[in-house]
Amino acid sequence: MILPPIVIDVHVHNRDSRNVRIWFPFFILWPLLLVIVLLALVIAVLVDVAMWLAGARTYNITRLLIGSLHLLADTRGTSAYVNSPTTLVDIKIY
Amino acid sequence: MSEDRTRILGMLADGKITAAEAETLLDAMGSASPAPTAVATAPSSSADWPTGPNPNGGTPKFMYVKIDGGPDKVDVKIPLALLRTGLKLTSLIPPVAMDEINKSMSEAGMSFDLSNLKPQDVEELIAGLGEMEVNVQASDGNHVRVFCA
Repeated sequence: MILPPIVIDVHVHNRDSRNVRIWFPFFILWPLLLVIVLLALVIAVLVDVAMWLAGARTYNITRLLIGSLHLLADTRGTSAYVNSPTTLVDIKIY
Repeated sequence: MSEDRTRILGMLADGKITAAEAETLLDAMGSASPAPTAVATAPSSSADWPTGPNPNGGTPKFMYVKIDGGPDKVDVKIPLALLRTGLKLTSLIPPVAMDEINKSMSEAGMSFDLSNLKPQDVEELIAGLGEMEVNVQASDGNHVRVFCA
């Protein structure tokens, strides 16, 4: 099952500037993403079929689209934390 | 923070999200580190991360990169599923571009044809990463560790 990220948490703290924390509920965009993906999927299938009928070499646009979605879903669990004397960056993808 | 919790619970009550999704979100909020008051004392969330490769073997799930001992502290966790999917996507690279990639890699001393990678090769590669560990103790005090678990 392809499950895109649910929440993206970005925290940047610099000693000389403001503390920035973005807790972005990515799941709010899921319905919009679903519509875009479905439209893109239909177009990709049509292009692949048209290229196949024309005898051209197909580049598997449909597979590329699905693979890209898998790539997006697989970013879940990514975490990056960098703490230097002047800057803190903490990024988490749930 | 309590405002976010209230919002999540409200969405659950409205039926916009399922109980499982609400639980995941609340867990995510609970594990989020509190806002630091000073950069130097900001805690890392890597306390519950493994300290080395899994001794019992098994397929690793994440690659960990840890740098400490010096003025900077770095903790990075990357899902190995990204590697798996990325390698599978290489089969979709057009042949012309693949030839160029292989040529460039060969010039750099890596005679490695990505188009020959099969799905079982990818799984073996990831399973093999479970035994890998890079451990570097630099002269400037930095301790760099890379492993998969």
